[in-house]
Amino acid sequence: MAIWKRNVRWWVLVALLLTMSTGLAQQRVVNVICSVTQNWCEALGPAFKQATGIDVRIVSVSTNEALARLRAEQANPTFDVWFGGTGDPHYEAFKDAITEWYRVKAYNDLSPVMKAAIGTTYIPLYQGILGFGINPKVLQDRGAPIPRCWKDLANPAYRGLIQVSNPNTSGTAYTQIATLVQIFGEDEAFNLMKSYHRNVAEYTRSGVAPRIALGRGEIGIGIQFMHDLVEFKKQGFPIEIVAPCEGTGYEIGGLSLVRGAKNKANGQAFMDWAVSPAGQQVGFQAGIFSLPSNTKTPLIEGIPDPKDFKLINYDAKKFGNPDLRQRLIARWTREVFPLPRR
Amino acid sequence: MAVIGRTSLKGIASGRSPAWMAGLVALISLLVLPWGRTDRNLLEFDSRLLVLNQAPWLGGLLLAVVVVLTLSSLLHLPLVQRGYALAGLGGAGFLAGVGWLVATSVPFGVGAFIALTALLVMVGIGLSESGIIQNDPFVTSSILLTSLFVLLFIVYPLFTVLRESVLVKGVFTLNKIQSVLTSPLFISIENPYTDHSEQLLVNLTTLALGLLGAGLAARGGFRWPRVLTGLGVGLLLGWIVGAGIFGGGAFPTSLYLALIVAPITTALGLVFALLEQRSRAAWVRRSLAVVSLLPLITPPFVFAFALTYWLGRSGIITSDLLGLKTSFLFGINGVAIAQVFAFTPVAFLILRGSVQGLNASLEEASATLRAHPWHTFRDITWPLLRPGLAAAFLLTIIESLADFGNPMLLGGDRNFLATEVFLALTGRYDPNEAAVYGVVLLCLVLTIFGLQRLWLGNTSFVTVTGKPGAGNFSPLPVWLERTLQTILALWGLAVVLLYFSIFYGSFVQIWGINNSFTFKHYVDLTNLGLPVLLKTAQLAFISAIIATLVGFLIAYLVSRQQFWGRGLLEVGSMLSFATPGTVMGVAYILAFNTGPWLLTGTGIIIVLALVFRNMPAAVRGVISGLSQIDKSLEEASTLLRAPSSTTLRRVLIPLLIPQLLAGMVFAFVRGMTAISQIIFLISPGNTLATVLMLRWIEQGDLGRGAAMATVMILGLLTVILILFAVSRRLGRGTSLEAAV
Repeated sequence: MAIWKRNVRWWVLVALLLTMSTGLAQQRVVNVICSVTQNWCEALGPAFKQATGIDVRIVSVSTNEALARLRAEQANPTFDVWFGGTGDPHYEAFKDAITEWYRVKAYNDLSPVMKAAIGTTYIPLYQGILGFGINPKVLQDRGAPIPRCWKDLANPAYRGLIQVSNPNTSGTAYTQIATLVQIFGEDEAFNLMKSYHRNVAEYTRSGVAPRIALGRGEIGIGIQFMHDLVEFKKQGFPIEIVAPCEGTGYEIGGLSLVRGAKNKANGQAFMDWAVSPAGQQVGFQAGIFSLPSNTKTPLIEGIPDPKDFKLINYDAKKFGNPDLRQRLIARWTREVFPLPRR
Repeated sequence: MAVIGRTSLKGIASGRSPAWMAGLVALISLLVLPWGRTDRNLLEFDSRLLVLNQAPWLGGLLLAVVVVLTLSSLLHLPLVQRGYALAGLGGAGFLAGVGWLVATSVPFGVGAFIALTALLVMVGIGLSESGIIQNDPFVTSSILLTSLFVLLFIVYPLFTVLRESVLVKGVFTLNKIQSVLTSPLFISIENPYTDHSEQLLVNLTTLALGLLGAGLAARGGFRWPRVLTGLGVGLLLGWIVGAGIFGGGAFPTSLYLALIVAPITTALGLVFALLEQRSRAAWVRRSLAVVSLLPLITPPFVFAFALTYWLGRSGIITSDLLGLKTSFLFGINGVAIAQVFAFTPVAFLILRGSVQGLNASLEEASATLRAHPWHTFRDITWPLLRPGLAAAFLLTIIESLADFGNPMLLGGDRNFLATEVFLALTGRYDPNEAAVYGVVLLCLVLTIFGLQRLWLGNTSFVTVTGKPGAGNFSPLPVWLERTLQTILALWGLAVVLLYFSIFYGSFVQIWGINNSFTFKHYVDLTNLGLPVLLKTAQLAFISAIIATLVGFLIAYLVSRQQFWGRGLLEVGSMLSFATPGTVMGVAYILAFNTGPWLLTGTGIIIVLALVFRNMPAAVRGVISGLSQIDKSLEEASTLLRAPSSTTLRRVLIPLLIPQLLAGMVFAFVRGMTAISQIIFLISPGNTLATVLMLRWIEQGDLGRGAAMATVMILGLLTVILILFAVSRRLGRGTSLEAAV
């Protein structure tokens, strides 16, 4: 027909558009929302593909953003597995029926301590201990002492030298608030946070972020998980690590299966692999120094060992409770965050 | 036009109708393509999803309608009566289909999309052939289709934002608005650490500027309306400045920031525009040509990123040269500096138009009459420049309010409206709060657009393409020329240093700590960033083609056709231009997350977001192109009895190819560098380069971020240079103004 000939250019255009949009189709994959550091997230895909032949598609966002995203899509999830990030949001997600518990194949090999702390809510992936990252040179230049305790942070000598993450987006920051509440009681903890609020240079969006400014000597103290600090120290940044004297809290990094996952079988395969020794060693290769949950995983040097620190008895069930969590974050957002720092 | 030919035949004419083609398409898609889907996969196919299996009565009804209409279109029947049938039955079928989707909340499938579109085309043809609408079938169908797209992808999402701000969990309430507006994140004035009262200081500033405003207004003769306006404007500005300096919170901070950035940027833009027109120095022209390219090839927040190298807490200037350990960059200062760098080229491109519109002969006349150059400037040049300055000023305010990347990186402890929209949704997961922030931002921006219309009337502020008058501009006085050149040189030096630092940062291990040379970041980029870059290019390319086609169609309709609702279509299509990116992003995620229009989590929603974001630029580009083409060409084509679709294809498109090409390239480039509107919409497999770059920079992989920025800048530069080469061969210049 003439119409085909005359409009040949248009048909070519349409065909071009169609072929380009076929790239939007998809097969045999697992969709992972990933809340550990970018390096680790990026290393997962190739390793899992090599082990099983299943493609991994990863979006990496901070822990609370991940929870928000999963909550928004609860009716119709895009993701199958939630990998990493602090445990409290994982617990909250389980409570709100956003995720479901899946007994991974290696469950019997996982650390009994970590399992006991969280019960059958999510799968423990690693343990990370909260601490202070210190840049000794910066503190020395200021003539400020090295902080040893949480209460030391209120020292006016640290004005503008502290970075800590924002609990609105970061699970690390919430772990820290929960830790302080458990050590000091709620009101006392909020007074403490207000007292060092003026020393905070910036509340970062991601819990890992303070180490950047710390390593570059822009600040003197960064409050975050020690294993991320170890990684940076090994890269050659001039930083030291301190555990606060009143005791410190810890996270149990979580691994959860999303309820209603579209690729459930692939998701389960991914979870089985993620807590196997082979899967957990991927973290080491990506420069991660958190304590893996599988007791059979051979450890490498530099991992902060819980036995060396004064750990509080972190009540994961109480502080993973969504109501308490939201109340504490809301209280921080209203009472601490907006206070001027000048 | 076509109307003349048809009215004479009206009533007696009979024949086939082109509606059969649309009918055939509808028929096929009803029979073989899925009507709904169970998930996000639009290419999902399952016989249970066919309309006859999913909703038998609806399928039967639609099939009957389509078959009847298709057959009748193939027969020689009276046009008018069949037109009524096409419009009536087709319309009923369309409404039934849409109604079913809305009522059952089943996500639409490909079949539903194609069948409903085809039905709408049939309605359009019917409306035209019956004479209800006095345009030809092609035009009528296009009007219906473009209106549908504008309604669904611009108006409906914005409406959703408005709805979410007052509808919490299905209950109408104003509590959310109240609680957000009174929250200290939004406005906080008092500082409990200080002895004095901040509120008092703010009040004093407000009063002082109010009186100053009234005084200035009264200077040229005391008239109440003028004085009251002056007082009002002064009070308003005074409050913003006071609350911005002494207080905090997203609302005053964003406004104060815009008030700092807009005058500086406009002034710099004017300096560049004057230099371009009147400077004799060759280096000035050459460097200004580069300046005009910058906004196109620079991904957002790249200046912010580079600034931390120079002025950050351990920056080269602040720490190494001055020995300061200051956080001065993080907060309003840093964001303001980054925005001045980012928006000055934009202001320059706008002001260039109005400076070129100046009439040299007027200035010559003034000089001949022995006016002092200063008088010439005050009485001739300045009044002619004022509209352009106002336009640049207001547009910069809007850009500054809507900016997302710079506050994200450099905002420090201050909150900004555009980032608060993002944090409310992704951090606190409070869609209602995000919606309230979105509404506030939208109201501000629309108010400013309104102001602009009020001051400047209907003149398009983007391309003021007056014909350059005869006569030669007198060169600037030497001292002025020197000063302006110095400003340009300093600005250029700063930009070169910023770009260089990105380039340098991508080749060293760890900037400032370990400066040894490495390709490591490029290796990482190839492994991790390349798939994302390619994906971004793919999505941006698809969206650029669609944006150009839809934009072209809308531009043609609003500038060459007369129909009811023309103004509405134009305003509707421009709305997405006025809407800040984060607000549009929130709107899309709220509107397309569930129900019949489920699209989140797919690449398609990113394409759509980019299409409707970049389309207004294409519309304006084509409108200005069309205004240079005489209507008589189309009339000749129409008189030779070509339908308007043929006229478009054979006459207008060939003439407009340079504009279309440029529009497409600009849409592509803007798609590659977009961030605020798509940061909410990324999904597995559909991560975009800018989002990945932001993530890398935030996590401390600065080298990798710098490598990504370098690759993007060089890539986009190549694309733009190719465009210039091609349009030079086509024999016409490409105006950059359309890209702004």
